[in-house]
Parts: sequence; structure tokens; C-alpha cells
Amino acid sequence: MNVELVITTLLATALLSAVPLALASVGEALGERAGLLNLGTEGMMLLGAFSGFWVALKSGSLGLGLLTGAVIGLVCGLAFGLIAVVVGADQVLLGLGFTLAGGGLTAFLFRESFGSRQPLLAESMGRPFRGVADAVPIVGQAILGQAWFFYLAWIIVAGAALGLKYTTFGLRIRAVGDAPDAVDTLGISVRATRVYAAMCAGTLAGLAGASLSIVEVGFFQPNVTHGIGFIAIALAMLGRWNPTRIALMAILFGMLRGLGSGLQLADVPVQSDFVQLLPYIGVVIALVVTSRGISLPAALGVTWTRRK
Amino acid sequence: MKKRLLPILLIVMMLNPLGLLAASQEVNLVSIVTPASRTNQAWDQQGVDNLVATGDEMGFDVDVAENAGYEDITPILQDMTDDGADLIICHASGYQTVCPEYAAQSGVPVVVIENPGAVTEGLISDIETEAQEAAYLAGVLAGLETTSGTVAIVVTGEPPTWNYMTVGFAEGLHSVKPDATLLYVMVGEAAYDDAPGAKRVTETVLAAGADIVFGMGDGAAFGMIQAIREFNTDREPADQARFIDVIGDKSDSEARDFLLTSVLFDYTGAYTSLVGDLEAGTFGSVYTMNVENNGVRLLDPPIPVDKEVLQTVDETRDSIIAGDITVSSIGDAAGMHDRLKELFPEGR
Repeated sequence: MNVELVITTLLATALLSAVPLALASVGEALGERAGLLNLGTEGMMLLGAFSGFWVALKSGSLGLGLLTGAVIGLVCGLAFGLIAVVVGADQVLLGLGFTLAGGGLTAFLFRESFGSRQPLLAESMGRPFRGVADAVPIVGQAILGQAWFFYLAWIIVAGAALGLKYTTFGLRIRAVGDAPDAVDTLGISVRATRVYAAMCAGTLAGLAGASLSIVEVGFFQPNVTHGIGFIAIALAMLGRWNPTRIALMAILFGMLRGLGSGLQLADVPVQSDFVQLLPYIGVVIALVVTSRGISLPAALGVTWTRRK
Repeated sequence: MKKRLLPILLIVMMLNPLGLLAASQEVNLVSIVTPASRTNQAWDQQGVDNLVATGDEMGFDVDVAENAGYEDITPILQDMTDDGADLIICHASGYQTVCPEYAAQSGVPVVVIENPGAVTEGLISDIETEAQEAAYLAGVLAGLETTSGTVAIVVTGEPPTWNYMTVGFAEGLHSVKPDATLLYVMVGEAAYDDAPGAKRVTETVLAAGADIVFGMGDGAAFGMIQAIREFNTDREPADQARFIDVIGDKSDSEARDFLLTSVLFDYTGAYTSLVGDLEAGTFGSVYTMNVENNGVRLLDPPIPVDKEVLQTVDETRDSIIAGDITVSSIGDAAGMHDRLKELFPEGR
């Protein structure tokens, strides 16, 4: 067995699998910082995954598919934001509704579109740094041998981190999640800020779904997200709504998930149940060690109305 | 749960000699409940498609409840009963408890999978998939076809059906290539639809040198297929990996270029027998699908395979039917792992 190649593959798949998780989780964090608890991430991911895959398959353009997934996510985010913020619907019920609707609708549309066929994307995404990947042993191929969207996704995550911390819009998002009344007294629209945040969150969720079906897996099938949306919600909270911390947690989660395969290949005598639990245990331990004074955004999940 | 089940079963058994439950009946509607999609080109689709075909042949209607998952399916079973089901097929070994219990409570005949202990005259029948015999043949084919000497088994769980086939495959591989390296990796517990996970794991076993992957995955099998497809891109034919599938026939899918074979399941024989028995008033038996009755068989390789290799596989099949080769029937996970270690102590 070529151990070096196995480690490289485990690392590469772990990093790639962290992309949709990180995107969705950062999106969820943006929404939660603005006071919106969106349990519909899973459904939005599925809608982004299906629409992105469908367009990529029909057009032959993977980039267009990713863009479609993001746009569908944006529309979902807008709908979620308007219903939660303007109509004042219960955010928990609304989110669960999105998840159920996303799952059911994509399963229905998939069957209507393809029947019992399972089309796979023939195109594979360009790998811009593949030529230089072999220069660095083990991690070279794992990091530099990835598809171009891999790098774009991490740039988006970094952009979200910087935007949340250093821009006016980022400051407003944080403020409406913690002290919406204070924001309102400054003449800034709490509702509009929250709707914009929901649109950002939906866009990232849709893009996460599309990246899963187009970049990571290469096809769509009902429930292809397999619970990633819910893990993303947990990761957003455990990562204290900090995109950098969330990204690191997503990578750690992916690596520990890959470690399970590695342990099995090495024939390490551990219970398979324990192997499956590894990523969850690892992330919780990491957070217990690194987190202090964690507190929810004060207005999370609370519908805001102007006081008279 | 068992405490409630036992007294009811006792009452059923006492009533049976009176002929109250084993009476013949006309079968107009047969319902089937599946854990996943009826179009997953695997376990669920094969069961539904075969039942529909049997219904067309025998003249009964079919009611399908798909995507039922592995939670409590009692409300679904009740709905089916309300809709007039004469027979309910619980198409998953994961329904081993809930379906016998429901049958005992409602009196509606049910069919369970891999649970012969639940068989009750007039009320509960069981289907046993002796797929280890066909998996043995797949193992022989893999052993004769591997060029790297490393073969992988990728599973999406460890239910009895998968474990039977894992052991059968390993024994077949061992019979022709005892020095092979056999890799065994599980994607996750009940990860039957975890296509991303199946793809990641398959990429890993390919990196570990496997050139033939025996994948048991249901919907997740397409993750394995996509991993092999990407692996084979830009590789010479001699260096390409091949896939052995289970249950369904994917020779018209994108796997056709590297699909070595598949362990095909055909439930039509079992369904025909059990519906016939229900109509005749003799319901309540174990129906076995094996190589001899063609309930399980190997798909003719969609890709070119040497004639001598195929002849060896055919001869092995004849030996199994003649009883000259006995394939172990091991359904529990611990027993399966022990058997793999016994067969390939160094090669895992």
C-alpha cells in the first residue's frame, strides 16, 4: 500500500468536503449574527444542489451551475428574510418548513427530470495549480491539486470574515443581532439589514449545495446533503459565529471524518460506531478547549418590532 | 416491545389450528414499504419493480410507500391497511421488529427480510437472500481479474444482507487468490444514501491500490461509481479500476465502461410463491433466493472479460449448485469481521 498516496487522498478529500460545510456554516453565522435563526439551511442547500446540477448538466458549464445554485439560494434567503422579518413568522417553524420543502421539492423535481436514471456530470473542473502540486510531498497534491472553486470558496469565506469584522455592513449585521433597538435609534433599518443578512446566508447555502453536487460529488440525488445543513448550523454556533473559527472547525471535521477511513484501512481495531462519532467528538473537544465566555447574539430568533 | 409481541403471537398460534388465520384469500392489493427511493437503482427499486412485475403477471395492484426511513413505520402500515392491503411487504431488514409486531396486532399478513425467526403460519413470511453464493462468484471473478492484487469492499452499513455478501465475496476471492490484499471499509452506519461519503471512501481505497471495488451502497453506490470514473480518467485501460455492484443492473448507466459485474437480486420468484401461498391458505414460510433458483445471480460482464475466466465462474456456479462448494452464511457483523480476518490475516 502506498501510504503517502493514501494520506494525500485522505487530506485532499477532507479539505474538499469541508468546502460546502464551511460555506453553509459561514452563511448561517451571518444570519445568526443578525438575529435570524435559519433551520432551513439543509433545504436551501438541496435546492442549490439540484438547480446547480441541473443547469451544469444541461449547459455543460460548471461555473454557470454554481452561479445558479447561488442565485437560487439568494432567492430562498430573500423569501426567508421577508417572511421572518416583515411578516414576523416563527423562525424555527419557517426554517423547518424550508428544509422539508427543499427536500421534497428537489426529490420530486429530480424524479420528474430524470425518472430512474442517475446522470453524472461528465465535465471535471479545471485544477489551476496541478502542475506545481507535485513539488511539495503529501500536502502538495492535497492543497494545490484541487479544482478552482476550492480556492474561490476559501476566498469567499475569508471575505465574509473580513466583511463582518471591518465593514459598515458587517457592523450593522452584528448590531441588529445584539441590540436592534439601539440600531433603530440611529435611523438604520433593522428589518432591511436582517433581510440583507438572510440573502447573504441563503446565497452561501445555495452555493454550498451547488458545490457539493457539482464540485465534490459530481451528481445530484435526493437528500444528497445528508444532514450537512444541520451540521453547518451546529458548527456556526460552536464556532461562535466567527467565520475563521468556523472554517477551521469545518476542516477539522472533514479531517476527522477522513481519519475514520484511515483507521479502517490500517485495520486499527476500533468499533465502527466510534469511528463514525470521531468528527463530532473531535469538534466538541476542540471547542471546549478553545471556547470561553460563549454567548448567543442577544436578539437571536426574536422578531423585532419598533417600541412605541 | 417483545413483551407485548409474545402474548399476541401466542394467541395467533392458538387460533391457527382452528384455521382462522390460515384461510385462503383473494389477493387484490399488495403493499410494499421501502426505506429509500423506489428509483435508487438498488435495493428499493429492485423490490418495487419486481413486485410490480409480479402484480402484472398475477393480476394484483401494488401500493408503494417509499422513503419511509428507519423510524417507526407503524403509521404507514396502518395507512396501507386502511387502503385495503391484503399483504404488506416490509422491504428492509431494518423493519424486523416493527412489522411482525404490527402483523400480530392487526392480523394483516406481512413479509419480512432476513428474519426467519419471526415466521408465523398464516401471518408472517420471511425472504432470505442467500446472496453470499452469487457474491462468492463475484469474488472468484475479482480474484481472476485483479492485476494489482488488491481488492476492496466498500459498504454503507453492516446489515445482514451486506454481511452475507461480504463473506461470500471474500471466500470466493480467497479460493482463487489467497495472497490477495482485501481492503474493507465502511462508509457509515446506515449510510445507504451517503453518496459524498461513499465517494470519499472509494477514492481512498483506490489510492491504497485497489483495482476492483465491490460496492454495496444502494443510492450511495453512485458515489463509488463517480470516484472510479474520475480515477479512470486519463489512465490507460490496463491501469483502470473496475466496479462490482449489487442488487440492480447498472449496465446502462455511466458505470458501463468499468462495471465488471453485479450481484443481481430477483424477487419475482419469491413474490410469486408467497402471494400464491397466501391465496392457497398456506402463507407463512421462509422463501429463499439463491443461485440455484436464480433469485440471485451474476450479471454478464458488460465489459470484455476473458472467456476462460467466465468459464471458471460458470464451473464454480455449477459446483455451488451441486453442493461441492458451500459458502458460509454469516449475517452478523462480528462474525463477518472474524471470517475476514481468518481468510486474509495479513491482507487487511
